[in-house]
Amino acid sequence: MTHSLILAAGAFVALTAGSAAAQSATDTKSFAVVGNVPALCSGGTIVGTGSTFDLGVLIDTTTGLLRTDLAAPPKVLTGSFCSSRSTITVNATPMAAQNFTAAPPAGFSRTVDYTATASGWTATAATFATGAGSNPGAIQTRPTAFSGDINVSIGTFATNGGSGLRLVSDTSYLGLVTVTLAVAN
Amino acid sequence: MKALMIGIAATAAAMVPGTALAQAAGDTSTGQVIVNGNVARLCILGAPSRATVDLGQMAATSGTRVGRIAVLGDQSVTLPNSFCNFAGSALTVQVTALVSADASPVQPGFAKAVNYTATASNWALSPTAATSAASASGATPTATSTGVTQPAPKIADVNVTLSGFTAPSDALLTAGIYSGLVVVTLGPAVGGGS
Repeated sequence: MTHSLILAAGAFVALTAGSAAAQSATDTKSFAVVGNVPALCSGGTIVGTGSTFDLGVLIDTTTGLLRTDLAAPPKVLTGSFCSSRSTITVNATPMAAQNFTAAPPAGFSRTVDYTATASGWTATAATFATGAGSNPGAIQTRPTAFSGDINVSIGTFATNGGSGLRLVSDTSYLGLVTVTLAVAN
Repeated sequence: MKALMIGIAATAAAMVPGTALAQAAGDTSTGQVIVNGNVARLCILGAPSRATVDLGQMAATSGTRVGRIAVLGDQSVTLPNSFCNFAGSALTVQVTALVSADASPVQPGFAKAVNYTATASNWALSPTAATSAASASGATPTATSTGVTQPAPKIADVNVTLSGFTAPSDALLTAGIYSGLVVVTLGPAVGGGS
């Protein structure tokens, strides 16, 4: 009986030794913490005096032709950002007479073309000329995330149809500039 | 009985020679055998209840904080039935910030790290907490803290809470997949294990 007990004790010691070899006084466990941030773009808000480029009177009142000194202060889009690689696209529609919608008589035009430019986002500004057949420079790509202001300006005004045409009278000539930020793939 | 005694004495003679010599002749003889063993110091942590804590989408996508870190709720992980079989153990928590895998340089106004606090409780008198302090670029993401000593052997569920998720300087977060790590170690307290 006693002998049996000794053998049993021996077996227990061997078992304990085996366990001790596999474990130690210190144990470590870990777990991963993961998350994600989607690619985001935000267009920001327009600073200053509203969202309208107001050019005032478009014609030289002595000739009836488009003024050559038309200008408007740029608009600043502030707080714009993209959290990833992005594109900026500028699009514009010509300034067109809103009330005189019929085809203009010979020698007249009801449309003024211009070039819209969005700069500050990419090394090369995005530009869109309303009178151009195509505008390959209207979309530009920025390879990194960015947060900053976008300057939007308009210029290079021209009478649609030719500089010799006069503009029909209208209380409202209206065009629209659209700047779009988008995540690039 | 006698034959049995010889067997025991042979086994135990080296261990207890004094005892064997002290026996007197007679019709009754008593032998004693000391049975020795030992128990090593051992700490075991239970498997984490969550192998991965997925915070999901971390940036606000609308409102005034669009693009910045959203309000992320606390996360809990349990390491059940953790134990140390000796007095004088302590928990150590190592926390590594969530950092984006994107290797490109972080842009001004942006961060690609999310810091947080990992707090391990229910072991010693007070919890063990470590807070990461990664920079916007994700540098120095790891922090470590060792808690107070548990003065007795103990078995308990160790609770780990992740809280206080913030971006460095509250910057805009760069898009991407972020990953961090929490390492919990249970072992002898420095100078306190016995």
